[in-house]
Amino acid sequence: MTQPLLSLRGLGIRFGGLVAVDDVDFDLPPSHITCIIGPNGAGKSTLFNLITGIYKPGSGRVLLDGQDITGLPPHQIAAKGVARTFQSSRLFEDLSILDNVMIGMHSRTKTSVLSALLTPRRARRELDACAEEASAILRSLSEELYMRRYEPAGILPQADRRRLEIARALALHPRLILLDEPSSGMDDRDTADLMNDIRRVMRENPGLSFLIIEHDMRLVAELPDDVIVIDYGKKIAQGQFADVRLLPRVQQAYLGQKAVEHA
Amino acid sequence: MAMTATHTHAPAAFPSALIVIAAEVLGAALLWGLLEANSTPVVLALLGVMGAGFALMQIRPQIEDIIVGAFRAARGVALWVGILIVLTYPILLGANTYAMHLVIVALLYSVLALALNFQLGSANIPNFATGATYGIGAYTSALLAIHFGLSMWATLPAAALVATAFGFLLGIPSMRTRDSYLALVTIAFGIVIHQMLNNLSWTGGPNGLVGIPAPSLFGHSFMQPIQFAGIRLPPQANFYYLALALLGLAILSAKRLHESRIGLAWNAIRADELAARSQGINVAWYKILAFAVDAFLAAFAGTIYAFYVSYISPDNFTFLVSVTIMTMVIVGGMDNTFGVIVGAFLLTLLPEKLRIFSDYRLLFVSVVVILFLILRPKGLFPQRQRHYGAHK
Ligand SMILES: Nc1ncnc2c1ncn2[C@@H]1O[C@H](COP(=O)(O)OP(=O)(O)O)[C@@H](O)[C@H]1O
Ligand SMILES: [Mg+2]
Repeated sequence: MTQPLLSLRGLGIRFGGLVAVDDVDFDLPPSHITCIIGPNGAGKSTLFNLITGIYKPGSGRVLLDGQDITGLPPHQIAAKGVARTFQSSRLFEDLSILDNVMIGMHSRTKTSVLSALLTPRRARRELDACAEEASAILRSLSEELYMRRYEPAGILPQADRRRLEIARALALHPRLILLDEPSSGMDDRDTADLMNDIRRVMRENPGLSFLIIEHDMRLVAELPDDVIVIDYGKKIAQGQFADVRLLPRVQQAYLGQKAVEHA
Repeated sequence: MAMTATHTHAPAAFPSALIVIAAEVLGAALLWGLLEANSTPVVLALLGVMGAGFALMQIRPQIEDIIVGAFRAARGVALWVGILIVLTYPILLGANTYAMHLVIVALLYSVLALALNFQLGSANIPNFATGATYGIGAYTSALLAIHFGLSMWATLPAAALVATAFGFLLGIPSMRTRDSYLALVTIAFGIVIHQMLNNLSWTGGPNGLVGIPAPSLFGHSFMQPIQFAGIRLPPQANFYYLALALLGLAILSAKRLHESRIGLAWNAIRADELAARSQGINVAWYKILAFAVDAFLAAFAGTIYAFYVSYISPDNFTFLVSVTIMTMVIVGGMDNTFGVIVGAFLLTLLPEKLRIFSDYRLLFVSVVVILFLILRPKGLFPQRQRHYGAHK
C-alpha cells in the first residue's frame, strides 16, 4: 500500500470546555480528493487550522508523507507543501491580484535582504520569473483575473476572490491543498468551473491531493473520491457520498433527532 | 472596465519627458520658495498652492495617473533631470546658510523616514523608537571619533552595526507580542535609551558630547568651502552632498527591497498576518528584519548628523523625534518612497517657517498635517501597485 500523503492520528483540541475536534483519525492518499461535510460548528475549519499549524493540537499527531509535522509553525508547514484557502477569504486586499499570487511563491524563492541589496538584478529576475508564472496560473483559472492582474484584490467579487485564493494556493506548488467552502458565494456555473479547475489541476500535478470542506451537495456528490462526516468534532462516517448520506447517524447529524423520528 | 492610465503608454516620449521636467522644476521651485520665504503670508500662500494641487489630484485622479504614467514612461529623463536639480541646488540657495541647514536636516529626516517606512509603511509595524536608533548611531560615532580618533568614514559602518544589533534586540519581542504591545515595547525602548543617554557619565549626560571633529575627504576638510569652476559654496554644502549621498543610498535600498520578495513579504504581513503565515512567510523573522534595516539606515543618518552639528545631546533623540518621523511617513504616503521624502521635507520645514506662531507652532503644524490628510486620506503620494517585466 502506498504511504498516505496526510495522516491524522487521534487529533483533538478543546477551547475551554468545548471539544472542537475530538480524536480524529484519517488517511488521505496521494492524488485523492476527500470532501469534509458536517453541520455548522462541527469543527471542520478547526481541523484545517490544526493541520496547517494555526492551532497547536491538544492531542494527537499530524503526519505529512509519514513525517511528523505536529506543532510546527504555519510557515514551515506551508513550506512543506500544504496550501490552503480560508472560509471567509483572506486576500491581501490592497495588493494587486498578481502580487497576491506571487506571495504564494514565497517559500520557493530565495532572495534575502542582503542579496536583494547587493545583487538587485538577480532579485529582480527572480521576481519577474514569479510574475510570469503567476500570470500563467491566473490565466489558467480565469482570463478575466489575468486581464485585471494589476488591480487591487480588494475590489473583486466573491467568486473571483475564491478563484484568486486558489491561484495563490497553487503558486506554492503544494502537495496538498485544503479548501474551506470554496463554492460559497458561487453560482452553479462558477461551481461547475471550480470542479473542472480542480480536476484539471489534479491531472496536471500527479500526486496532488485535495481536502475540501463543502456544503454544496452537488459538488460533494460529483467531485470527491470519498467523503468524511464530522459532527461535534468527531469523525462519524467515511466513504462514498452515496452510501454515507444514507447512514442514520449522518442524517441525524444534519437534520437533528426530531426530523429523523418524524421521517 | 476603463483602462487605468498606468497601462496606457503616453503616445510619445516627448510629452512624457516634458511633463516630467515641468513637474520636477515646479517641485524644486516650490521648495525654493518655501525655503526663501520670510513672511508668514508667503508661506501660507505656498501651502495653499500645494493644498490646491493635491486637492485637484484628489478630485481628478486622471491628472495623477497622467503624471505617474509620464514618470514611468520617461524614467531616464526623470532620473537625470532630478539628479541635475539636486546637484545644483546649493548654487540656487547661494549664501542662505539657514536654508541650506534646513535642507540638510530635511535630507537626514528623509533617510530616517525611509528607514521607518520599511516597518510602518511596508509591514505596518508601529515603531516609536526610530529616534532612539538614530541616537544610538549618533552617539556610537561621536564616542568612537572623540575617544579613539576614528574618522567619520570608519564610524559609519561601526555605528550601523551597533544600531542594527539594537534593532534585532528591539525586534525580538515581535516574535511573541501582538502589534499593540509591540508599540508599547518600542516606546519603552525609546524612553530607556533617552534616559540612559541622559544619565550615563560616558555619554556626557544631559550636556551630551561636544567637539566632534569635522570629517574630511581626500584631504578636503568639510570645514572648507567648495570651490569648483568659479562657483563657491559655503562649507555646509559638503554636508549637503553627504546627506544627499546617504539619501540616494536609502532610496536605492528602499527600491531594491521593495522590488524583491522581501518587500512583497512585508506587504503581505501588512495586509493580513495570518494569511501571510499560511503562504510560508516567517512573520516574526520578517518583522525583526524590518527593525534591523530601520536601525541600520537610522544609524547612518545619526552619524552624519553628529559630524554635521559637531555637538549632540539626548534632546536630539527624544520620543517626539520618533513621533515626528512617524508623521512624516503617514503624511507623505505609506510605502511610497517619494511621498515619504515629501513628508519629511514638509514636516522639517513647517515648524521652522511657522515660528511666528511661537508657542502655538506645533498646534498649527498639526492643523496643516490634518488638513493635508483630509485632502489626501492615504497620504500625499499613496502606494502604487508594482509592475513587472515589460509593464514595469
Ligand atoms: N479560536 C477559537 N476559540 C474558541 N472557540 C472556537 C475557536 N475556533 C473555533 N471555535 C469553536 O469550535 C467549534 C467549531 O468551529 P469550526 O471549526 O469553525 O466549525 P465549522 O465546522 O463550521 O467549520 C465552534 O463551536 C466554534 O465556535
Ligand atoms: Mg467552517
